[in-house]
Amino acid sequence: MKKVVIIAVIALLAFTYIAENYLSDYHLSVLEFLGIYAILTVSLDITNGYTGLFSLGHPAFMAIGAYTSAILTFPAMRKSIMIPALPEFLAHLELPFWLALIIGGILASLSAIVVGYPVLRLKGHYLSVATIGFLIIVQVLITNLEDLTRGPLGLNGIPPYTNLWWVVAWLLITVYVVWRVVNSDFGRVLKAIREDEIAAEVMGVPLARYKLFAFSLGAFFAGVAGGLWAHLVTAITPTTFSLPLAFNLVVMLVVGGRGSITGAITGAVLIGVLSEILRPIEMKTQAYGLTQLITAVLLIIILIRKPDGIFGYRELRLKISERRG
Amino acid sequence: MRKLALMVAVIFGVALLGSVAFAGGVIKIGALYNLTGGMSSIDAPALNGAKLAAKQVNAKGGVLGKKVEIVAIDTKTNQKEAAVAARKLISEGVVACIGYGDTTYVLAAAPLFQKAKIPFVTSGATHPGLPKMVGDYMFLTPFGDNVQAYAMAEFLIKDLGLKKAWVFTNKAMDFTLALSKFFKERFKKLGGKIVLEDFYVTSDKDFSAQIARLKNLKEKPDVLFVSATPDNAGVIVKQIREAGIWTVIASGDGFDTPVIIEVPGPKLADKIYYTTHQSWDNPAPEVQNFIKAYEKTYGRKPENAFAALGYDAAMLVIRAIERAGSTDPKKIKEALEHEKGYRGVTGAISFTSKNHVPVKDVAIMEVVKGKVKFVKMVKPSM
Repeated sequence: MKKVVIIAVIALLAFTYIAENYLSDYHLSVLEFLGIYAILTVSLDITNGYTGLFSLGHPAFMAIGAYTSAILTFPAMRKSIMIPALPEFLAHLELPFWLALIIGGILASLSAIVVGYPVLRLKGHYLSVATIGFLIIVQVLITNLEDLTRGPLGLNGIPPYTNLWWVVAWLLITVYVVWRVVNSDFGRVLKAIREDEIAAEVMGVPLARYKLFAFSLGAFFAGVAGGLWAHLVTAITPTTFSLPLAFNLVVMLVVGGRGSITGAITGAVLIGVLSEILRPIEMKTQAYGLTQLITAVLLIIILIRKPDGIFGYRELRLKISERRG
Repeated sequence: MRKLALMVAVIFGVALLGSVAFAGGVIKIGALYNLTGGMSSIDAPALNGAKLAAKQVNAKGGVLGKKVEIVAIDTKTNQKEAAVAARKLISEGVVACIGYGDTTYVLAAAPLFQKAKIPFVTSGATHPGLPKMVGDYMFLTPFGDNVQAYAMAEFLIKDLGLKKAWVFTNKAMDFTLALSKFFKERFKKLGGKIVLEDFYVTSDKDFSAQIARLKNLKEKPDVLFVSATPDNAGVIVKQIREAGIWTVIASGDGFDTPVIIEVPGPKLADKIYYTTHQSWDNPAPEVQNFIKAYEKTYGRKPENAFAALGYDAAMLVIRAIERAGSTDPKKIKEALEHEKGYRGVTGAISFTSKNHVPVKDVAIMEVVKGKVKFVKMVKPSM
């Protein structure tokens, strides 16, 4: 098992090296977005797949991470022109990229705790409603906190730090952390909550605490992914991260398979690659909207034929790794 | 599962066939538009306009002896798609790019063209600060928001003699904030007075509180400047008129939509003035010929002014290629900076190396009992 993982990581790093050096800017950006989407789906899987909580809050956490890391890394010179009303301690701050990403992730995670603390005590679908509400609150705040965010115009000219190395590194960290969490005692408790909340509670599981941890862990990686996104697109507005994005992520997760890391990554890659492959057809035939149509049909077929998704609740297992070592 | 794999394989196969290299001997101009999603009502007509321009030029033998091809990508009202599609167009070797009716998407795409030193001409984004934010390869086809706001302020004071304004601003959008800001600036400079400025946000549906404040004003305004986009324009007009207020309403190109008549109904849609890029009633031959050609090609009249702006954006690029005598993006950029008085469908357009935002004529429109009438073209003093 260990060998396979090490070989896979080395292969991925070698691929990244080749891609960074030989691929066109366009193909690189496609790969970078695939990676970011994979980070998002894998982290969304913690709540939506492993714990059985249906969250639509990822775009809100991404927005928090994106704005945080953009403001923290912006060159102080340009900050004074673009966002002159910034508080003193932020105006001269110019943090390294990795630190800004982590701070963005932590802020996203803290906000998840604030929202989750009251909401996760309730049973049923309150979380999905509350996360939609939270997303709207975040958007309104970003729109109105003009001193920090430049309001509806958004921030642009964000330093383009994100490259494939950053994305792959964070993808590996995300997968590693999620893998370790869901395959620990802790992760088994999460699955127990998913399978039967009442039974888990009777067994003495403090439901709210476990749910809150799962929710805020997912939010951390969403915040980081938001930061990577901001430094890739280099422009963000209050509406960049909104509800359609949340649905997109859910679709990727459903297609790939919930409760499975391979499934989450497969879904993100499949849908991402599909839209790039269909792009030339769309351009040639001028049948714009084709991508969305085919994605929708594919989704329906998968929901009928394989309701659990391609890798529903199980991982891709190579023959060698049949017995976990 | 096997069927699924088969289907995916078929899609891949068709895609490969579809992407077989483009024929040689063409000049590729990129076009980035949101053809699906929330922005499509603005962007789809713009692309049609641009394609019409290419078609007309090609019918006359193209430019520099080559055919012009508009390479369009749908970016689905999504900034991520815009950022990826821009890179795709650059890697396909477009010599220039046009696109978008909204600043948000320009800011996701244009910096990449700036970095690659390829000119980007937006057909519909009106933020006058865009060239400053993006760089020297950024050009605007429409007038900036300052121009239309100045035009309306001058028209109200000089032509209609209205000097006391109530300003109603959507504070959740950059466009509406900028429009109000420039309007107030010029209105006050010309001796007008702002009796009250009130605010709302895009998601508001009920404006009764603000309208009540307006009604209770001691000093009655003689014009209501409503800074709005199509989302709110119709509803605000309806609620103001229903409250029994028949003061003149004025606004910018956010009012250039059928909604301002459909929502309040023809009885209440009265005494309204707004500025826009062009009127189809303008008898100028550029305008009438464009309408005819558009109708012939697409079987319907141009949906809105963005169709004409898309046409003009493509024409500006094609003319620049011709003047440059080359398809080198750098030379095209320089040629664009020497554009002098192109008589476009949306008015005369000139650029200089210092100014990439054209100062154009603004069309003033009037709504009388549900009918839109063209008043005149005006050029504000800058």
